Amino acid sequence: MMTEADYYALFEAYSQGELAGPARANLEARLAADPALALRYADFTEMTGTLRAYGQRQQARQQLRSIHAAMLAADAPEEIALPESKLTHTVNPMLRISRTERKLREFWSGHRATVGVAASVAVMAVFATLLGLDLWKTSHLPVPASYQALKKEVERIKKSQKAITSTLNQFGKPGVAPEVVQGKFSGTGFALTSEGYIVTSYHVIEGADSLLIEGRNHQRYHAEPVYSDVKHDLAILRITDKKFAGFGRLPYAIKSGQADLGERVFTLGYPREDVVYGEGSLSARSGFEGDTAFYQVSIPVNPGNSGGPLMDERGNLIGVVSGRQNDAQSAAFATKSSYLVHLVDSLAAAKSAATYPYHLPRFGQLAGTGRPQQLKKLQDYVFVVKVFE
Amino acid sequence: MSRGNSSVLTPTDDALIAAIRGGDERALAHLYRLHWPMVSHFVLQNSGTEDDAQDVYQEGVMVFYEKVRDGSLELSCQIKTYLYAVCRRLWLKRLTSKSRFGVRLLDDEEHGPYLNTGAEEDVLAAEEQDRRFATMSEALNHLGEPCRSLLEGFYLLDKSMQDLTTEFGYTNADNAKNQKYKCLVRLKKLFFAHYKEEPI
Repeated sequence: MMTEADYYALFEAYSQGELAGPARANLEARLAADPALALRYADFTEMTGTLRAYGQRQQARQQLRSIHAAMLAADAPEEIALPESKLTHTVNPMLRISRTERKLREFWSGHRATVGVAASVAVMAVFATLLGLDLWKTSHLPVPASYQALKKEVERIKKSQKAITSTLNQFGKPGVAPEVVQGKFSGTGFALTSEGYIVTSYHVIEGADSLLIEGRNHQRYHAEPVYSDVKHDLAILRITDKKFAGFGRLPYAIKSGQADLGERVFTLGYPREDVVYGEGSLSARSGFEGDTAFYQVSIPVNPGNSGGPLMDERGNLIGVVSGRQNDAQSAAFATKSSYLVHLVDSLAAAKSAATYPYHLPRFGQLAGTGRPQQLKKLQDYVFVVKVFE
Repeated sequence: MSRGNSSVLTPTDDALIAAIRGGDERALAHLYRLHWPMVSHFVLQNSGTEDDAQDVYQEGVMVFYEKVRDGSLELSCQIKTYLYAVCRRLWLKRLTSKSRFGVRLLDDEEHGPYLNTGAEEDVLAAEEQDRRFATMSEALNHLGEPCRSLLEGFYLLDKSMQDLTTEFGYTNADNAKNQKYKCLVRLKKLFFAHYKEEPI
């Protein structure tokens, strides 16, 4: 009986063609006849074949590795050359740098798409936020430019007046045109006390060098600012002329409380050279953007009305005209007189007021009379405030 | 046939294949260097490293090389396209095994249709072959000395029986041969026990 090893010897000899003719024919006949032997032979060939192929695979792999190494060496000869140059101190940092650089390159090539998407998302988010904020702001904030303070720029008028005088001069003798003293700005003011204190709006006298008060009968007084309240747009002036002897008794009282909604109110002012009367109602007890220091009144006012007195029907002073809203129909604003009273009280308490005491008018004399009579009395105490810069 | 300066005169694909089949190492080296940049670029572009590229490329060239040596290569396209397709398939397989998510590969447009190059079947066949070799390696490891060294010497390293006789200290070549056959029988048991029980 042959062992399996004996069969293997036979198979090997057969597959290498070392068997002699009769033995060879004998084995072939047995392989054809005996399926078990044929299977054994198939196993043998498969195994030796696999072994040989495995050997070849390992050799080929080795070959490819050496090819790759040779290729890298040919591509980058400087990396081979570096260790030979003995400069270990410079070589080491260079190697380290190149390694980090390689890591970075690998990271970049691997995450390039992700990084790109993240960056574009971030950029878009930033711009969307900025744009959204901008839109939100513009839609929520009303434009403050619609508020207009009512001081009058006289420059315009002066120019037109010069044009008129020059036309006149062509008819008569030239050069004798009356020298009219003109301020750069003008507003309205009114008497606060009989001692010569005048009230006007702060924005009228803002940045003023000198002030000129001009009454209805072309009386002129020099004045100086005594106190300014920027927040409530109030200014108090005092007439400095030596010859000034006082206004006499003021016909109106200053109301220290608040006026009621819907009260009939009127004002006098100098939007042009002559005094102008305006009439309306108290339409709101708060001013521009809900400012509670102001009233809203439905009086048509123009530049130059600023600082004018706001009176109620009984002739009490209830406010000081300050400005108007451009994009609303006849919405004018006036500082509440209660703030004026507060201001005067605090000034009176101050020490400097001792030389020039404040005596606010307590009782009005205008109640019960008709409007023309009220105005006749009132207009003597309303002035043009001319401002020189 | 074997040109040192290959960048001047590029041999055609057919000439290259013939040379490689003839066992010309320089032809293989030329082929290897010729297509390395393409595969390296492809792998690096698809979130691989330099080492990954080298592995994949050597694997791919191996598939090509073995088919050339068998004479079983049926090339319906350029070698370049075939290699690209094989390496693409191999890298895709590695990526999907590594990643939890679906993988999308970025392809270079110039390599055109790579699906009908026969690469798919060749890669599958190569994988089967790999499995066989892994089993063989396993079986050899379990075989123990001196059987393992004897068989490796004869079959893997192509040493002659005479050399092995002196190397292992057998009295004559017949003794060595008998020992070899016994070793083969043991190897057969180990090999088929492992190989057959693997799921197909």
